[in-house]
Amino acid sequence: MKKSLRLSAAVAVAAAASLTLASCGFGGGSGEGDAEGATTLDLLVPSYSDATQGLWEDVIAGFEEENPDITVNLEVQSWDNLESVIATKVQGGEAPDIYNGGPFAGFAADGLLYPAEEVVSAETYSDFQESFLANAEVDGTAYALPLIASARALFVNNALLEQAGVAAAPTTWDELLDAATKISALGGGIAGYGMPLGSEEAQAEAAVWLWGGGGTFGDATEITVDDPANLPGADQIKKMIDAGATQADPGSTDRSPLMEIFIQGKIGMQVGLPPTVGQIEENNPELDYSIVPIPTQDGNPFTLGVMDQLMAFQNDGDKQDAITKFLDYYYTSDVYVPWVEAEGFLPVTKSGAEALGGEEALAPFLEVLPDAQFYPSTNPQWSATDAAFKALFGQIQTKPAQDVLTEIQAQVDAS
Amino acid sequence: MSTTTDTSPTRAGAASGRPRPGGAPPGTGRKPGRRDLAASLPWIGPALLLILGVVLFPAGVMFFNSTRDISMSGVDHGSVGLDNYVEVFTFPYFWPIFVRTIVWVVVVVAATVVISLGLAQILNKAFPGRRIVRLAVIIPWAASVVMTTMVVYYGLEPYFGIINKFLVDIGLVDTPEGYGWTRNPDTAFAWSIVVAVFVSLPFTTYTILAGLSTIPGDVLEAAKMDGAGPVRTYTGVVLPQLRGALSVAVLINIINVFNSLPILKVMTGSIPGYDADTIMTLIFKYIQNQHKVDVASALSVVAFLIVIVIVAVYVKVVKPMQEV
Repeated sequence: MKKSLRLSAAVAVAAAASLTLASCGFGGGSGEGDAEGATTLDLLVPSYSDATQGLWEDVIAGFEEENPDITVNLEVQSWDNLESVIATKVQGGEAPDIYNGGPFAGFAADGLLYPAEEVVSAETYSDFQESFLANAEVDGTAYALPLIASARALFVNNALLEQAGVAAAPTTWDELLDAATKISALGGGIAGYGMPLGSEEAQAEAAVWLWGGGGTFGDATEITVDDPANLPGADQIKKMIDAGATQADPGSTDRSPLMEIFIQGKIGMQVGLPPTVGQIEENNPELDYSIVPIPTQDGNPFTLGVMDQLMAFQNDGDKQDAITKFLDYYYTSDVYVPWVEAEGFLPVTKSGAEALGGEEALAPFLEVLPDAQFYPSTNPQWSATDAAFKALFGQIQTKPAQDVLTEIQAQVDAS
Repeated sequence: MSTTTDTSPTRAGAASGRPRPGGAPPGTGRKPGRRDLAASLPWIGPALLLILGVVLFPAGVMFFNSTRDISMSGVDHGSVGLDNYVEVFTFPYFWPIFVRTIVWVVVVVAATVVISLGLAQILNKAFPGRRIVRLAVIIPWAASVVMTTMVVYYGLEPYFGIINKFLVDIGLVDTPEGYGWTRNPDTAFAWSIVVAVFVSLPFTTYTILAGLSTIPGDVLEAAKMDGAGPVRTYTGVVLPQLRGALSVAVLINIINVFNSLPILKVMTGSIPGYDADTIMTLIFKYIQNQHKVDVASALSVVAFLIVIVIVAVYVKVVKPMQEV
């Protein structure tokens, strides 16, 4: 207790203090021109895996060798902290030059970002797949560069399905409910369907269900969580929980720890990502599993696509050339493809997709990618929506579905 | 703890009616007072600067921020008056959270003090291995709070947690994967209280132990001579003498427990909604989830005032500073 300082107050106060200083003109840009003519770029990235730091260090080492007059400072943060770190930095006038993150529309709305076209060469720009670039646009201008993509699919434990007497992997909700209930009935702590609605990534599992029933979170101009189209999906979630087809306490179970349980072979089915393949390979190679498209209400294929972006902050506006050099270097096939491959995600460049087309582990995901739907991440309110889902959606375990959707909408509207 | 014993009315300040121990007699030597101040300034100056810089200035900024409209990415869009406070108080879960905060403080502090009184009594007796036991009591203090909490948190996890496994094996929990203690608001909050008591024990125990060692042996002997039994001796002689130590322990614990974030953050972090939150975790959620630094500042100011009120009520009702 002694050490439990007034952390939150301290954070607020520290952030505020730097804000005041910055507005008085004491803040200034970070590390500009320390040596004669040298430029320093600050790069803030989240950690996708234990290898992330090393992969970026390799990229930077290669880049600095080609461009001795540019130094790149790397800062790696965990996903948990990333958004508060970037907010604090922006507030203190210490925004990084290049930032790898999810939501970017808020920064674009505050006029903090370079348009994507201004920080990469024309060749690099035209190499991005159009659908991804379109997803990074605010009012027709792309403000972020697609970095990686991922799609989701249903991981199925073949052995458990067989034990429960389920012939084929489910494609519709009815089949899924039936299969999951049968697997749960096996007993011994086995759960039919792994449903992580806890704060870690509640918005993803919510999207899988709500969109799979024809719902939507909204578009670039409006967030519509409290929409009748979302009710079938929400009701189906409750049906799964009430039937005992999921693990216990789905409302507060986080995704990563639950995936570990699937990998241990104690969960029948769970929605996973491309990197899950590598995780299984590493931790339980004996697991007999297959990857199938996510079941939907009517059985039509669908997947939740997620794209992370790189964005360039304007700061003092004197580093555009250096940023362009770095990004052009990074997106060359020789640098980019090994990076994406090592992290186990899907590439967003045309040249990258060609280079990785033959990868067997990625095939099931590349297959569903054309049916991908994305979060409305260009909506400036998306961050608030994302946060509201994380904080509130799990209550669906105990509260009526409609109440939860209404509460999320209210929190978004209040932001 | 004040060591002043002289509370005679002759020293009371006319205006405040409060004792002014050590103050210069009124009317005499105003100028020497100012000269004293000038002479002492170089000595206390650095400390004053430090207090100004790390206590008053940040607190001032916090008050200032609580009246601003700060965007999610941290840009200040000007003043909004008291709107942030309105948002704090109109939040539908505010009052349940407020009540839970009071429960949290009262239960943790009360349990800590009661257990510590017993522990201190044991540690005050001479027995073989006392040194080792005293050392063991310090360990929760030496370990990081987050670490201690994580150990309990993982122990409580279903499927692989050791506490869950134990409860399943002895038949108290009948689902084979264990019970989601940290997945349900009530049980997670209860376990948080257990952890909070555990990490508060060392400080409190040692404060009381220090108090016990100041009680002269002849007083206890006199009580024995007068025919007092152990219970009577404890309530009539030992406890009153512990008043000083206890008041310090309780005050510091109230403030610490009220402001404690990490335990609840770890234990109740994955629970959706606001059914296990205290004011501190709510401040954290405003910053972390909603990026509302402005509203978080307003709530911090409210929290600050609540602590002051709690302490004031405690001082007024219990009068811990009054001599025996």
